[in-house]
Amino acid sequence: MSSHMHDVVVIGGGMSGLMASIYLAGKGFKTALISRGDPVCCLSTGCIDVLSSRGSNPLDGFGGLPEGHPYRLVGKKGVEDAYKLFKEVMADGSIPYVGTIRKNREILTPIGTFKTTCLVPHTMAASHGCRDEYVHVISFKGIKDFYPSYITSKLKNTGFSLYDAGVSSTLAIAARFEEKGFAEDFALWLAGLELPPGKVALPAVLGLNNPVAVMEAISLRIGREVFEIPTLPPSIPGFRLFRSLKAALQQRGGDVFWGMPISSVERHGRIVEAVTLATSGRATRVQGRVFILATGSFVSGGLFATRDSVHETVFGIPVHVPGPRKDWFRRDFFNAGHPIEEAGIEADASFRPIHGNSTNLFVCGSILAHSEIMKYHCGHGLALATGLKAAKMCERMLA
Amino acid sequence: MSIKTDVIIIGGGATGCGIARDLALRGVHHYLVEKGDFASGATGACHGLLHSGGRYVVNDSEAAHECITENTILRKIAQKCVETTGGLFVRLPGDSKRYRDRFLKGCDEMGIATTVLSPSKALDLVPNLNPAMEEAIAVPDCSIDPFRLCMLNAYTSRHRGGAILTHHEAIEIIKEKGVCVGVKARERLTSQIKEIRARIIINATGAWGDRIARLGGSEVPMTLSKGSLIVSNHRLTNMVINRLRPPSDGDIIVPNEAVCLAGTTSIPIDDPDVLEIDPAEVDIVAGEAEQMIPSFGSTRLIRAYTGVRPLLKASGQDGRSISRGFKIIDHENGMFSILGGKLTTYRLMAEKMVDVIMERFGLKMKCRTAELPLEGQDELSGYPLSKRLSTMDDIICECELVSRNTVEHAINTMGTHYVGDIQHRTRLGMGPCQGGFCTFRALGIMQELGRVSPEVSLKILKEFLQRRFKGIRPALWGDQLREEQLIESIYLGILNMESG
Repeated sequence: MSSHMHDVVVIGGGMSGLMASIYLAGKGFKTALISRGDPVCCLSTGCIDVLSSRGSNPLDGFGGLPEGHPYRLVGKKGVEDAYKLFKEVMADGSIPYVGTIRKNREILTPIGTFKTTCLVPHTMAASHGCRDEYVHVISFKGIKDFYPSYITSKLKNTGFSLYDAGVSSTLAIAARFEEKGFAEDFALWLAGLELPPGKVALPAVLGLNNPVAVMEAISLRIGREVFEIPTLPPSIPGFRLFRSLKAALQQRGGDVFWGMPISSVERHGRIVEAVTLATSGRATRVQGRVFILATGSFVSGGLFATRDSVHETVFGIPVHVPGPRKDWFRRDFFNAGHPIEEAGIEADASFRPIHGNSTNLFVCGSILAHSEIMKYHCGHGLALATGLKAAKMCERMLA
Repeated sequence: MSIKTDVIIIGGGATGCGIARDLALRGVHHYLVEKGDFASGATGACHGLLHSGGRYVVNDSEAAHECITENTILRKIAQKCVETTGGLFVRLPGDSKRYRDRFLKGCDEMGIATTVLSPSKALDLVPNLNPAMEEAIAVPDCSIDPFRLCMLNAYTSRHRGGAILTHHEAIEIIKEKGVCVGVKARERLTSQIKEIRARIIINATGAWGDRIARLGGSEVPMTLSKGSLIVSNHRLTNMVINRLRPPSDGDIIVPNEAVCLAGTTSIPIDDPDVLEIDPAEVDIVAGEAEQMIPSFGSTRLIRAYTGVRPLLKASGQDGRSISRGFKIIDHENGMFSILGGKLTTYRLMAEKMVDVIMERFGLKMKCRTAELPLEGQDELSGYPLSKRLSTMDDIICECELVSRNTVEHAINTMGTHYVGDIQHRTRLGMGPCQGGFCTFRALGIMQELGRVSPEVSLKILKEFLQRRFKGIRPALWGDQLREEQLIESIYLGILNMESG
C-alpha cells in the first residue's frame, strides 16, 4: 500500500471541493483532492448562479432564505470573499469570468428563453442584453442538442445559418475548433454571410482549451460580438470550468487523486485519520489532519436514496431527510424545488456535521442540508461560498 | 361533409383493432377511431402476458379454457409479437400445498401442459429465482407485445380498405330518431372534426365504455379497478414468473425486450382519466417481486405505470353473457358495447362481436382470424438489437440505440406530429432516462422536418415531461433519482423551461 500524508484531505472534485482545496493549497497547506471522477459541474452551463430566484441583486435575496439554508451560515461577506477568489483564479487561467456579485445577468438558452445567472465565462458575456439587438444564430449540421428554430421563433429579431463541421456532437465540434485552420475557415465562411449588424450566437463549442482566443479571432474577423449558448450535457463550458479549477489547484501544489473511489475510512476515537482508495493496482492510503467532505448531493453520489431512506456514502453521517418517500417529489415536474432537495448533512457554524462524530471533519457544497439549489438556483455560488468557508474553518484548526 | 361506412369501432386497443381485422377479413367496411395512439388504455398498460390459463384454473375454469385456446392460436398466428418464454409458477415457503394440488388438477383438466420442477431444475432455467423456493411448475405462458399486436391487427384492416384514425377522439354520437347513426371525431392537435356515419357503432373503449355508451344515450354498469406495474432496468428472467398461490397483489413478473415488468395491484377508482400511482403501490409490487426474484430489490426501476381494468358490474340484466370474462351488450339503438375480457382473449372477443354484426347484416362469411397469420409481421417486426447495432453512428437515443435515420424514417413514413408515435415504433425513450435526453432531440428533428412548428414542438415537449414524470415519480430512489435530478437540472436549469 502506498501512503500519503497531508494537512488536509478534500473528498469530492466538484466546485466546492475544488474551491476549498485551491484556497488551502494557496495558503501553503499540503492538500489532497480525491475524486471518483469528473464532477457534475461538467454537465452544467459553466455559469455561476449565486441566487437567481430572488431579484436582481443576489445578495439582497439572502434575507428571504430559510433559517437553515447554507447561505445563512456563510453570510454575505463569505459569499463576496468566494466571488473574489473565484474571479481571481479564473482570471489567471484562460477563461476569465465576467459579471459582478451584486447584479444578476441574463443568458440566452437553446430554446430561446433567458436564464438568470450571475457570473459567466467571457465567451457568454455578449449574451446579456441581446434581446435588444439582431442576433444571428449559427448552428452545425446534424448537431443533435441544438435546434436554432426554437430561438428564432421566439425572438423576433433573429436569423440563423448552418455550418457543416463534418461532425455532429458538441464535443467533436469543440475538438475541431482546436484544429489548426478550422476556426479561420469558419470565420471566413461567417464573414461571407454578410449579416446585418448585430451579434452572432452559437452553441458552446468554441474549443476546449482557449475559447476566448477563438471567440475573439472570429469576432475580429466579422466585426461583430460573438457569444456562446450553453447546451445540454455534456457541456463544454462546464468542462472548461472544471479543468481550469483543477489546473489552478495543481499550480498551487495540490495533490490530485482522480478516478478512485474511497473503499474504507480509518478513525481513532473522534478523529478521522485516513481514507483508503480503491485502485486497480495496490491500494492507496491518504492520511490527513483534517478532512473536508464535498461529495455533492444525489447526482454526484454524495447522497444515495434507498426505497425508504437516504445515506451519506463515505462516512455514513446521519442525513436530514424531508419526510417519507411519498413526500419527496411534488406532482408537477415544472415546480422547481422538490422537498427531496432539502436532504443532506446539517452543519453547524464551523461547517462540521451536527450529527457527525468526528471533530476534524468538515462539510461543504450541495451535500449540505437545506441547500435546495434547484429551488433557489444557487448551485455553483453555494458550492464556492461554502467551499471557501469550510476551508477557512479548517485553516483555523490547522493553524 | 360526412364519411360513410358500415361499422365504426371506437377504441384502438386490442379489442378494437381485433374487430377491425376480423371485419376486414370478412369484407365489411369500417372505420376505427382512437383518441390516442394504439394500445393507450388497458392494452398498453397491462403486463404483456399471454396467459397459459394457469392463473385461472383454480377459480375460473371458463377463463382458463379460453386462455389456453387463444394462447395456442396466438403463438401460431402472431409469431413476431409473441415470445415463447414459457412460464413458471413458483411455490415459496409458506405457500399452500393444497392450492398447488388444485392447480395441477385444474391444469390437467384444462389441457394445460405442466412440468413440476425441483428448485435446482428451476434455478437452471431462471438463475435469479429465490433459491429458497419449494418447487416450480412450468406452463406455456408467453410474453406478448401489446402495442405491436394492435399495429398488426390494424395493418390487415388498412390493407383491406378499413380506415384507422388514431389521435381522433369520439366527441359526439350522432343520433337520428333515437338511433345512433354516426360519430363526430376530433383530431387531437388540430381540433378538426370528422363526421363518420355507419350502420353499426361498436364501443370497444374499455374503461371509457360507460362514457361512450352515455354519448349514445345508454349506459353500461362498470367497476373500474386500477392495476399498477413497475419496470426494471434489466431482464432478470427469461421466463414469466408467477407466484403459486391464489391471485393477489404482486404475483407476476414478465420479461419484455430488455426489461422486466412486475405487477400488479388492484385498487378501485372512479375516473379512468385521473390515474395516479401511490409510491406505496410500488413498494408492494417491488416487495412481492423481490420474494420471487431477490435481485429485483436491488435493481434499478425505471418507472411505474397503471392501467384500468374495465370490470363489469355483476348483474347481467341486459345483453347476453358470452362468458364470465367478457360481455357484448346490444344497446338496441345501433350501438354495441364490448367489455371486460383480457388481452389473451382479444381475438375471441373480436370474433364473437363480429359474429353478431354479421348476423345483424344478414351476412354469412365465417371468421378466419384464428387460421390466418397476422399480416405485416416482417415489415413491423420491431427493432431488434442486431439491427440497431449495425448503425451506430448518429445515435439520438443512447439508452435504446436509436439512430437519427430511424427517427426520421418513422416521422416521414407516418407523417406524425406525436412524439409518442415515434417512441412506440422505435423504442426511443424507453430506456433508463425515459426520454429525458432524446425526446428533446426527436422533437427538434420533427420540427426541422417541418412536421410541427417550434412553438408546438415545445408545447409537446412540456406535456411529455409532465407525463413522463408522472410515471417516474412513484419509483424514485437510487440511480433513478440521480438521473431524475439531472434531467430536472437540464429542463428547469439549463433551458429555464419554467418561464418559457
